[in-house]
Amino acid sequence: MSRLKKILLLVTAIVLFLGIYVIDVVRNAVNLGGSAWLNVREIGVFFSFVLLFLFIQRARASRPTAVPKNIGQLLAYSIFVLAFVGLIAFLGKGGSDTGGELSGSPGAVATLFSSLTAIALGIFSITTLLTIRDLVFYKRKKGTKRNFVAYAVSLVIANTAALPLLPGESQLIASLLFSVTVVLIVVNSFKQNWVVYLSRREKLYSIGYSSLLFLVFLAVNVLITQTGLEHALVAYHPPLQSFIQLNAIFGVIYFGMAFVSTLFHMPTAEVYERKQSELTSLHNLSRLVTQVFDFSDLVDSVTSMTLEVVGAKSAWLELIKGRSDQGDVLVEVVSLKNITRQQIEAIAVNSDVSLRQFVIDSKRPLLIDDVNADRRTKHIKKLDVAVGSLICVPLASHGELIGFLHATKVFQYGFDQDDIDVLTTFADHVTIAIENSKLIAKSLERERFQQEIMVAQQMQKRLLPQKIPYYASLDVAALSEPSLEVGGDYYDFVALDTHRFGVVVGDVSGKGVSAAFYMAEVKGIFQSLSRVAASPRDLLLRANQALVDSLERNAFISLLYAIFDTQKSTVTLARAGHCPMIHISGNSTQDVRPTGMGLGLTHEKIFEESTQETTISLKTGDVCIFYTDGLTESRNSDGDEFGVDRLVNVSVNAKRNSAESIKTSILQEVRNYTGNSTYGDDMTLVVVKIL
Amino acid sequence: MADFKVHQRDGEGVSVIDLKGYLDAHTAPDLENAFQKLLSDRKYNIVVNCKELTYISSAGLGVFMAFIEDVRKNQGDIKLSNMSPKVYNVFDLLGFPILYEIFKDEQEAVVRFRATLKP
Repeated sequence: MSRLKKILLLVTAIVLFLGIYVIDVVRNAVNLGGSAWLNVREIGVFFSFVLLFLFIQRARASRPTAVPKNIGQLLAYSIFVLAFVGLIAFLGKGGSDTGGELSGSPGAVATLFSSLTAIALGIFSITTLLTIRDLVFYKRKKGTKRNFVAYAVSLVIANTAALPLLPGESQLIASLLFSVTVVLIVVNSFKQNWVVYLSRREKLYSIGYSSLLFLVFLAVNVLITQTGLEHALVAYHPPLQSFIQLNAIFGVIYFGMAFVSTLFHMPTAEVYERKQSELTSLHNLSRLVTQVFDFSDLVDSVTSMTLEVVGAKSAWLELIKGRSDQGDVLVEVVSLKNITRQQIEAIAVNSDVSLRQFVIDSKRPLLIDDVNADRRTKHIKKLDVAVGSLICVPLASHGELIGFLHATKVFQYGFDQDDIDVLTTFADHVTIAIENSKLIAKSLERERFQQEIMVAQQMQKRLLPQKIPYYASLDVAALSEPSLEVGGDYYDFVALDTHRFGVVVGDVSGKGVSAAFYMAEVKGIFQSLSRVAASPRDLLLRANQALVDSLERNAFISLLYAIFDTQKSTVTLARAGHCPMIHISGNSTQDVRPTGMGLGLTHEKIFEESTQETTISLKTGDVCIFYTDGLTESRNSDGDEFGVDRLVNVSVNAKRNSAESIKTSILQEVRNYTGNSTYGDDMTLVVVKIL
Repeated sequence: MADFKVHQRDGEGVSVIDLKGYLDAHTAPDLENAFQKLLSDRKYNIVVNCKELTYISSAGLGVFMAFIEDVRKNQGDIKLSNMSPKVYNVFDLLGFPILYEIFKDEQEAVVRFRATLKP
């Protein structure tokens, strides 16, 4: 759409210019007479230039150009226009020589030349005006636009005054308007803010461009006031001459001022440039602080930014790893630029002084202006490194030193107070970034560990029986709850044959991951031995043999193995240090507690001597309860244990119910007792009811 | 909640450790340190007085297992005394009375040591 508009503007302007050209040619050949035609023509020219102005403005807006490139373009364009005008003047002279034979009035070719000259200069003037407008509006303030608009209005009025519409005495008014416009030109020419923000290199270009433009506009001024061009332009369109002249004056004054201004700003160019780069680097780092997932990337950025920020030759970052036995700090160079580790070590420490120690003692940045002259760094002279000055900034987090940031320059007195200030600020950011990076690493590690534990938990759950073997005369229920994510409690069932059902309950000393490993081991041992062991006691003897050498010295396992025989209606059990089985029969309750030591406590002889086996007969309605001490030792908020008595009472009260229901009653009782108390051990419960 | 204290006294040729409170996985390291110190001081005749010990967990029992071998290798022993019935029950459940000499009174244990030391 906007493209279409632009094309429309251009085409309309060209058509208008062609129309005017035709009028001019015809008028020159045949005297039309009357001023009506003349007025139509002047208005046509005026509109053509307005359309051109709009077109150029739009074309520029779509492709904005930065300073000083836009001044350069203006210069190039001005040279092109001058060459073009010069060429036409040359050709025109030749043309008028031959056309001189015709009766004084210019021919079609001469008219074309003068029209093209006027149009080219007009376009040039418009471009000048827009370029200067952009420069004036750079970092504009409240009054900027007002002043410029005042100039533009004044320019239009002054141009209009040049039309031969007013009576002869208006000469005075015209020159008054001209003067006002020039004053406004001067006012606007003070707006040179763009110069400040140029880099050194850009300023050099700007000086060149503006001085040349100054000369160009001076030439244009002379050209359109002192030569025949003035008459040609006035003849074409009087306001155009005024427009071009005023804009040329603007060009002379503005670019003259720009030249001087840039020249005066040259000395600050370097400082400004450095501030700019410091700002950019600090900004980059503060962004880096939030994206520190890779430690090596982070420290690499730190050293490269150090080079950038202070313009250093080399830089390196050291982090404190700890202290030696002598109390000296041990550091690790985590990132370096333009220097080797050997050189770093040689620079930082020599026989009697350590540069780091100065920083540790003073807790302030250490600056060495002249490495060769300073007694602390004289040794560096002997090394094959080009170091003239050196700075070492401490990195401190919460008052604790975590590392050092070093930078060197080739020349003496390379670092000034600004460098120290910037590096100190920079060091603070670096410290935060490094601390964050460490925290992130830690929390990732922690998360990974949590996931591993979750896996372990899942695996351990699968080690417990997934279903209970079915025996018509036995009703069985079980549960196991670890106090931590994983635990050391174990229970299992084994269907030995059609009438014999084995139940094992165990507890590994300790809690957590190590207990969980032993629990898995016990599962393996039980599963393999239960098929071959002749009796519960036999299984315990073999299990002790298997475990005694593989367990840690302070670890042991308690186990109770019971075999229910549904044909004989008996249960035979042996106990290796485990809690007794509770047998509820009719109105009597007893702890079934054959002697026996924990597994892994002692070698076979003593174990074998001390381990007994017992068989008791069962009848319908009897309830056998197996548990681990985690259940009876569950505590309430006062620190008192749940105890065996409460377990027996709740079981007796619930004995007429199903095994599942008895289990639930016991669990509910334990929950009521402990309340919100979180202290606890792993807890396991198996209930077998005889049907 | 789980308050636990270890106190050590030295008699003639016999060292006595007084235990007080809850001995479980959290407090076991305190007792471990006490045993470690006695072993590094080459004191192998040890009586553990459990008069004020209110609770002992399997981790607590593990501490005794961890050191008994080293102590006996050096012709010493760990003897226990003054247990409350509840604490004794835990020791008994695991069969510890078979592995350790347990006395009603600390003095009996000390006398027993003296008797074996004399010859």
